[in-house]
Amino acid sequence: MLLLEYYATDHWLSRIDARIKLLVTMIILVMVLSYQGVGFQLLVAAISLTLIVSMKIPWRLFLLRFSEPFLIVLVVFLLKIFFSGHDPLFSFDILGFQITGYREGLAEGIAISSRIMAAISLMAVLVYATPFPELMAALSWLKVPRGFIEVLLYAYRYIFVLFEEAMVIYHAQKNRLGYANFRNRLSSFGILTGSLILKAFEQSQTLSTAMVQRGYDGNMPLFQSRPFRSSEIFLSCLVVTVMGILWGI
Amino acid sequence: MKKVSCGFVIAIIGGVTLPQNVAAMHIAEGLLPFNWAAFWFAVALPFFAWGLYRLNKRNLDDLSFKPLVGLMAAVVFIISCLPIPVPFAGTCSHPCGTGISGILIGPAISVVITAAALLIQALFMAHGGLSTLGADIVSMGVMGSFTGFLTFRALRSVNVNMAVAAFMAGLFADWATYFMTSVELAAGIRGEAAFLPLFWKVLIAFIPTQLPIGVLEGAMTAGMVMLLYKKRPDLLIKMRVIKAREVAVIGAVLIAVTFLFSGVAPVEASKWTGVDEAVIEKIAKEQGREPKEPLVNMEQGDLPLFIFLIAGAVGGFAAGYYWRVLIAGKGLPICSGQDEPAPETSGKIRGS
Repeated sequence: MLLLEYYATDHWLSRIDARIKLLVTMIILVMVLSYQGVGFQLLVAAISLTLIVSMKIPWRLFLLRFSEPFLIVLVVFLLKIFFSGHDPLFSFDILGFQITGYREGLAEGIAISSRIMAAISLMAVLVYATPFPELMAALSWLKVPRGFIEVLLYAYRYIFVLFEEAMVIYHAQKNRLGYANFRNRLSSFGILTGSLILKAFEQSQTLSTAMVQRGYDGNMPLFQSRPFRSSEIFLSCLVVTVMGILWGI
Repeated sequence: MKKVSCGFVIAIIGGVTLPQNVAAMHIAEGLLPFNWAAFWFAVALPFFAWGLYRLNKRNLDDLSFKPLVGLMAAVVFIISCLPIPVPFAGTCSHPCGTGISGILIGPAISVVITAAALLIQALFMAHGGLSTLGADIVSMGVMGSFTGFLTFRALRSVNVNMAVAAFMAGLFADWATYFMTSVELAAGIRGEAAFLPLFWKVLIAFIPTQLPIGVLEGAMTAGMVMLLYKKRPDLLIKMRVIKAREVAVIGAVLIAVTFLFSGVAPVEASKWTGVDEAVIEKIAKEQGREPKEPLVNMEQGDLPLFIFLIAGAVGGFAAGYYWRVLIAGKGLPICSGQDEPAPETSGKIRGS
């Protein structure tokens, strides 16, 4: 849950309009995905990681966020190096089996790995510098359907409530040896998840009753964005132009 | 020296790295090149649009439906974050949760639920990504939800037991998700290589965790559905998972069985004398105390019929008066809003 709550309030990027940050991130993301090579992607990854460090993100949070992508990078890298290409680069024996790595696979593995690192670093910068309601308002401004944004807002709000509920049930089960053996674990987990669904049903009824009493008509009001500042527009155009030139080189 | 077999390297990759990866169903940000990312977005879009259409339509009839869908998205998010032990692989993984949402809410709206859970995971936990959201929606939302829903409905239509149908739905939803993920991964990372050999390699790499986790997800889906069926069958009727007729049929069968046994029992009992006659009356007779007529003889005339009529009327009135308590469980408070936290609609930010 720690990952959902962190937001760098004091950083200069946090003060820029969420719509501009979202647009610039998406444009650079498209450049990263469509670039044929490694240089641009490594540059984006380096800039993004520098920004993340300047936001003073706790190391634990950084490792939590990046551990899964690192493992995926490793898997894809191994798959590519051992299964793609024809030109042998190295070879070694394990238990009588000869394992060969290929030159083309290594090149493709590096390209994919750098693309993943650039993309996830870029997204991390956006998320660490933008609070969730502002991000939702930006998505609404980009004409993402309102119904979907409302579902996202409900989900985000109730993740914390239901997670707390899940932890209470989990600890109660654990204290009663509910996870003592595999069969118990399975049964306890089934009851836990079933109870969460029951809770979600009951909570949605209570929530809608409360909201109707406050004038809810099926549509939730969203965060109102302030007008764009000229400095923000200038900065974003400059960043996109420079990145575009670097992408074209 | 033997040339290395594919299976050996796949076993190393799948057995050493993938089992440690607790969110293996998500395709990481940047993994797919632009053309494949755009293609999977295009595939996901019609299903997503259909889900939104259904959501808005049902929300017009029931204002609690949109909050329910939001809360289900939160449940799917939490389910797919909770680690469970995987036998044989010696590690933990997590279920997808899309099978159960497909069964309960319907496959189209389940795509929207999955998209919401995936977007929050992509933004805040780096599980999946913004560019791979389309691919993740197709594998988890479309394949998982539709496979789970169709399996459940198909098995129920041929009168398969509900727990078995839910188990198979969870199992196939999970496996279908990983099958589709393998297709997307192989297509996205193959480069100049052939698709099919790489697809099989990726699929085999998933097997150490995903075969057992599929069975576990099936067992949990069955557990969840049966828990709901026992505790709140009215919810399953409301969500159109079961029909009221099914509950009525089960109730009728139970009543019939009760009547059957109540009819058989007196016939069987007539062959045997009770303890009153066999012991008490016998000893009383030996002591010279013959039985006398009762003061009010219940076995004469229509008196028992009249008493049963009165009891039925009083019981029926009480059951009718308290039917909400009996059927619907805890009633909704009329003015529950004051203790209920309002949804986050303002610009209040998370603190660092």
